Amino acid sequence: MMIAAMAHWKKIGIILGLTFIALYPLVHGDTYVMHIFILFFIWAVVASNWNLLMGYAGIFSLGNIGYFAIGAYASGILCKAFGWSPWVCILMGGLASMVCVTLFVGLPALRLSGIYIALLSLIFADSLPTILTQTRSITGGAMGLHDIPPLFEGITRLQSYYINFALFLVMLTIIYRTIHSSTGLAFVALRDSRSFAKALGVNEYKEKIKVFALVSLLTGITGGFYVHYLGDISPTTLAIEPFLLAIAMMEMGGIGRFPGAVLGAVIIVFGNEFLRLAGTLRLALLGALICAIILFFPGGLMQFIDWIDLRLTRLKARRAISS
Amino acid sequence: MNIKEIINTLVSGLISGSLYAIMALGLTIIYGVIHVFNFGHGIVAVLGGYFTWLFLTKLGLGLIPSILLALVFMFFFGLLLFKATINPLLKTPNWEFSTIIFLLGMGILLENLALQAFGPRVKHIPAFFEGSLKIGFVRVNWHEISLIGIVLVFILILNFFLKKTWFGQAMRAVAQDMDGARIVGISITRIFGYAFAMATMVTGFSGILLGTKYYMTPHIGWDWMVKGFVIVVLGGLGSATGAVYAAFIMGIAEALATLYLGSLWVWPIWFLIFVTILLLRPQGLAGGRTL
Repeated sequence: MMIAAMAHWKKIGIILGLTFIALYPLVHGDTYVMHIFILFFIWAVVASNWNLLMGYAGIFSLGNIGYFAIGAYASGILCKAFGWSPWVCILMGGLASMVCVTLFVGLPALRLSGIYIALLSLIFADSLPTILTQTRSITGGAMGLHDIPPLFEGITRLQSYYINFALFLVMLTIIYRTIHSSTGLAFVALRDSRSFAKALGVNEYKEKIKVFALVSLLTGITGGFYVHYLGDISPTTLAIEPFLLAIAMMEMGGIGRFPGAVLGAVIIVFGNEFLRLAGTLRLALLGALICAIILFFPGGLMQFIDWIDLRLTRLKARRAISS
Repeated sequence: MNIKEIINTLVSGLISGSLYAIMALGLTIIYGVIHVFNFGHGIVAVLGGYFTWLFLTKLGLGLIPSILLALVFMFFFGLLLFKATINPLLKTPNWEFSTIIFLLGMGILLENLALQAFGPRVKHIPAFFEGSLKIGFVRVNWHEISLIGIVLVFILILNFFLKKTWFGQAMRAVAQDMDGARIVGISITRIFGYAFAMATMVTGFSGILLGTKYYMTPHIGWDWMVKGFVIVVLGGLGSATGAVYAAFIMGIAEALATLYLGSLWVWPIWFLIFVTILLLRPQGLAGGRTL
């Protein structure tokens, strides 16, 4: 019985974790911790999307923070300028992100591979801040957009918490479903053996466009939720720090593993709050962390979990043989 | 637009182009030989400049000795970085990905350490020559003329090194056919190490020159690096000659964009040029030729 329970320790862990998150505001409900949790929900979705693109589809994209920012800005601008409902604006923001990314990164990326896509997406995200400062009248320039209306009037922290938790669950389900669908299998096949996958009839162009469109749509929608939660956004979102945080999340959890990005997001979002104590050295520490993970634990946390899993399976097998 | 402005723009384009050329060469050597894309390129350039500044102001050395000392420093820094980190990473299965993320992380680590050590304030390296030259309506600083001269001489020396010396030939052999090089008895790891160290030195030198022309902050390296990326892609990844041509083209294109559209449009223009190259000719100007 004990052994059987231990074999399902991962499932138990996930259920316990989700229950804890769902009950936390009711039991304890510290507003600051709730804020950190909301950031975690958003970052976990961003990192999981990035992981879908980079880890599963094997496309070296370095511009996902740009996709996020386009969604956030588009939603904020539409909501402020036209006074539409934030929910519609978030969807429009996601679509805007999808159109921009598919047009400027996805389509050129069809002809490219590896390092070229990394450079293209990095430079795409890098040229966004200048465009933002150029269009000051609409985007607020370097000052950013302020007083973006929340999702509905008089929203409380508790309501935002559950809305973002729902977003987290829905998004992760979509990503999980995609990974385990035939589309996800096609991504993995293209990543692992491009020519073999093509020989089996996987349409490379179609799959590539699909993954870019899906990831930018989901990331853009998450950007919309982020901007309506925080109420303002500025080009600093596109600075090096959020980029570094997201990369650290994926590396921490283990690239190409679905639970990895979420685990990494937990650790990095909460760890980042402690790192604030280090003041200006924070970014240096994050950089050092990324280097150390790649050098010493290339598989990230998932490697550790797999190791525990292997031990438990062996233990179970030995018990079965002896009894 | 009158002819005066256009000629002035072309001259300033040539000057920045020559600086970009030497910066892109550092990137090209690493990619051409090791097939690793150096995402820590920017901070390496900045470090070269900062070392020179340090020797100049804190040790009280002259300008030329400081530069030489900084170059020696950069060479051994590159060698150490390669032996300690990149070399083990190259042996892992998805090295292409892990080296990129590693060098990115390393770049951010070094950038923030430089920020701690030197502070965020702008630093300058003094110009090599004072005064300026006036031909008709074109006015150029002697310093900028000397920059073009230095870059041209440097490119010639590098060319001689790559084509005529044993190490240079070995480097090109590795770049062209790794297995063939191994068969004739060239130690790949050794060549990789020296190529990385040399590229670090070249990059550091470009940082010094950029520091004399413009200014340095620990963060400026990102801008230089992204420009270097566009240039090497336009030139054709891994091709040194292509990178030099591309650097001059981009230098002039940037000067023209600044003249006609204003300096804030420079980045979107770089992106547009980049996308255009990738769509029309992803293999770059030199088209698949190696080092």
